[in-house]
Amino acid sequence: MEIGALVGIFLSVVLVNNFVFAQFLGICPFLGVSRKVDMAFGMGCAVTFVMTISGVVTWLIVHGVLAPIGRQFGNPEALYFLKYVIFIMVIASMVQLVEMYLRKFFPALYVAFGVFLPLITTNCAILGACLLIDMNDVYQRSLLKSAVFAFGGGIGFMMAITIMAGIREHLRFSDVPKALQGAGITLLTACILALAFMGFAGIGK
Amino acid sequence: MAEANDTNLAQFKAGILDNNPVLVQLLGMCPTLAVSNSVENALVMGAAVIFVLTMSNLIISLLRNLIKPHVRILIFTLTIAAFVTIADLALKAYVFEVSKKLGPFVPLIIVNCIIICRAEVVASKRNVWRSLADAWGCGLGFTMALCILAVIREMLGAGGITILRDLGWVWHLDAKTFEPHAWVVMIMPPGAFLTLGLVIGVVNHLRAHGARKRGG
Repeated sequence: MEIGALVGIFLSVVLVNNFVFAQFLGICPFLGVSRKVDMAFGMGCAVTFVMTISGVVTWLIVHGVLAPIGRQFGNPEALYFLKYVIFIMVIASMVQLVEMYLRKFFPALYVAFGVFLPLITTNCAILGACLLIDMNDVYQRSLLKSAVFAFGGGIGFMMAITIMAGIREHLRFSDVPKALQGAGITLLTACILALAFMGFAGIGK
Repeated sequence: MAEANDTNLAQFKAGILDNNPVLVQLLGMCPTLAVSNSVENALVMGAAVIFVLTMSNLIISLLRNLIKPHVRILIFTLTIAAFVTIADLALKAYVFEVSKKLGPFVPLIIVNCIIICRAEVVASKRNVWRSLADAWGCGLGFTMALCILAVIREMLGAGGITILRDLGWVWHLDAKTFEPHAWVVMIMPPGAFLTLGLVIGVVNHLRAHGARKRGG
């Protein structure tokens, strides 16, 4: 039963509520880093990695630090106004930690992710995942479900950006009207992809 | 950066037209796509961004000689996060329904590239008045771009425009005629990508046209 619920959350966030095509999170890297498939895949992996870790860590901070301290003052939500400042600091420091850890223990991976890691701090998909977890009652009650949601969000992002890069590699050879070159045609392609992803609506529930 | 004459007014105008953050510089795409499904959302989001941009530019410009270069991004982000928290609480207090619809996109102003970009390019280098002029120019430019998209999407997708239902200001544009023919897809995600793509195409075309004319 529990496994079924987790698979449902995963499929829903990868396909139905895809971060890029349904929730508009992480559009900047989606437009900027989707020229080549290998770059896009690297970015997607780095985002998945950081998103899962920061989703879990922010959940732990809200429930393990903010709520207990708030309870001392008689209201668990007393310190919740600090959430946003704390979330962004957690993400920034997670990115730093991940960068240091990779450089020490997985140099090959560090070289592959290297360029993208600093960019991820201001990737709205990461903060968006933490905020969505924070706003949803189901995820508030279960750390495991939150982790699966964050991981699925990253996988969905990776899928979207890799598909887009694959299409854009072919678009280079097509005759695009001058005004639409670059961002314009990418957005129109994204429109068609988003239409296709709407076909997944109704799966799960 | 097209700055013919280096004045506060020029900076203000550049943010609205020549350097429009959304339509020309392609910054802040996520909120633009997500929030332009109705004019009401667009206006509230625009107001929140103008507030945060003004305050962060003001504070960063005042602190610009104290901020050490290697920690500047951290200080920018924390300043912005503080004002976003204020804006979020204010929206929840006064326009609760709209703030619920905006969902995570109000807190996501923290990582909005427009605000960090303005802090980096202008506020950390220029005086307070220049930074304020820039904040209002870019803020209005952002709001204007959002409203253009929102008007197109809401007219086609919902058949009429409804503003501030909470406060009782309803402006329904001939809904009876259009509603049965509304293209619902326009207020859904694909409509957002389509509209923004086409509007950017039109803007590029007009700019190329203008440049040709000026060139002779």
